[in-house]
Amino acid sequence: MQASLRAKFERLLESIVLILLGSLAALVVVAVLFRKAGASIVWYDEVASVLLAWLTYYCASLAALKRAHIGFPKLVLAAPLGLRRLLYAAREIIVIGFFAIVAWAGWQVLIVLEGTYLVSLPWVPTQLTQSVIPIGAVLFIVAELLSFSDVLRAEAAAAEEHRP
Amino acid sequence: MTVLLMILGLLALVFIDVPIAIAMGVVAIVAMVAGSGLDALPNVALVLFTGATKFPLIAIPLFILAGSIMNAGGISQRLIALASALIGFVRGGLAMVTTGASLFFAEISGSAVADVAALGSILIPAMKKKGYPTPFAAAVTSSAATLAVVIPPSIPMILYAVMAGSSVVELFVAGIVPGVLGGLLMMAVTYALAVRHDYPVEEIFQFSRVKRTFREAAWALLLPVIILGGIFGGWVTATEGAGLAVLAALVIGGVVYRELTWKTMRGAMIEAGQQTAIVMLLVATSALLGEHLTAMQIPQQIARGIIGLTDDPIVVLALLNIFFLAIGMFLHSAAAIILVVPIVMPLVNAAGIDPVHFGLVVTLNLGIGQQTPPVASVLVTACSIAKADIWEVSKVNLYFIAVLAAMLLLVTYVPAVPMVLVEFFYR
Repeated sequence: MQASLRAKFERLLESIVLILLGSLAALVVVAVLFRKAGASIVWYDEVASVLLAWLTYYCASLAALKRAHIGFPKLVLAAPLGLRRLLYAAREIIVIGFFAIVAWAGWQVLIVLEGTYLVSLPWVPTQLTQSVIPIGAVLFIVAELLSFSDVLRAEAAAAEEHRP
Repeated sequence: MTVLLMILGLLALVFIDVPIAIAMGVVAIVAMVAGSGLDALPNVALVLFTGATKFPLIAIPLFILAGSIMNAGGISQRLIALASALIGFVRGGLAMVTTGASLFFAEISGSAVADVAALGSILIPAMKKKGYPTPFAAAVTSSAATLAVVIPPSIPMILYAVMAGSSVVELFVAGIVPGVLGGLLMMAVTYALAVRHDYPVEEIFQFSRVKRTFREAAWALLLPVIILGGIFGGWVTATEGAGLAVLAALVIGGVVYRELTWKTMRGAMIEAGQQTAIVMLLVATSALLGEHLTAMQIPQQIARGIIGLTDDPIVVLALLNIFFLAIGMFLHSAAAIILVVPIVMPLVNAAGIDPVHFGLVVTLNLGIGQQTPPVASVLVTACSIAKADIWEVSKVNLYFIAVLAAMLLLVTYVPAVPMVLVEFFYR
């Protein structure tokens, strides 16, 4: 059940990454061609920057699902089993707590931003562009929860391997 | 006192394996709430968003993607074949091919980890098969890949430029002479070790083979001409050059060589997106921490403190070298640049050091950090491909680290080495 949910979640995030990265690359190339043709795209800078932010937070969830963010696991791995499990739990609480605060703060900002629009595309609400913060934060929390069982499984397997 | 508490908090979180990006965010939020109360929290979301929208950083996912497509599209293999035909006849030829191919690959991907992963997966098994000791194969691949961060384009340089408010193009140009010198020096050391340990000759030199491999790699050779020529010639910006690199790699790998499939392309894009997010989340959360530190005038206070002791640029550079070498051993280069560069820039400016020159110093320092355990991302990748013990590899790697250290001293104390082309073209 959980494995299937994890696989579906991973496929969803991967699809988002493909769309965002593909769009960003295409936009930059098309913008160069238009600029060289003497017809610069006025919304290029603003939209490309927004796409980078979206790529950052949606892909960050994918990286969290794969436990790929840069950390320093050496000390935790060297700790005795009981302490190690305690530290894993503390780590999860801190990470999830951080993104819970970010999600709440992001939601508050969305409320404040009601009625505002992008400078170069006045029909695009900034609520849409900024929505990546609360949504990305929630996705990160889901990724952490779904991948935590992988950490525990790896831990149990390692403990089993070292049993005399 | 507040700064000390922030540093201790950051260290404590990092030591319990909280990802560095999130550790920075947590410390910044605690400091903000302690200073301004809960009303400061909505600002967290705004800074996290604007921190990830820095336009010059768009080059990062695009250069990473271009490198991934090159590898998936058969471009890397053709470059290796050409390098092998050109220098494979020398003793230790395959090891020198590794250095040569790394120098070339570096001109497109800009990432040392991408470099070692792409070339190492082909060349390390090939070297082992030819009878090279595994630790040597891993060490030469790892150190050669570190040159990727000195030769343009370079992701650490893009990050530095954004953090220091410096010119990306000038930094790229400044990396050319040190990168080529470093590559030649590394080849010389490889040759000396090959002669001493009687490593094999790859194959005899055949002009017909050079001609054939050159013909096959000709399209791939056009890539750096398009990218770097466009950027240095002022025809495109670094970000636009990165976009063109993706387009060119797609056309060459997909249309010309016909080796790019949807499956490999999909994998390349996901990998590139993930690597981008790892760096960009660091950038975004460092914006939170940076805003707080700047508001407290911490960088300026540190600069004033050190300048009060000495304003001699030679001494200041020596101190900064020691500092960056030390943190490079414990921090990923992107994290180190993002965390430390904004803090030391007031000191660098006050000592009258050119920010472009200092950018090369930082890049080389952190390049050495990628080779020195415990946190040595490039070395660890090479060891994992070679299935070699990191300490055994590190013993052999000392020779190549010595080359990088010699380059660091040269770049630090002979500013003309990195700056000659910058002065000639841009000033």
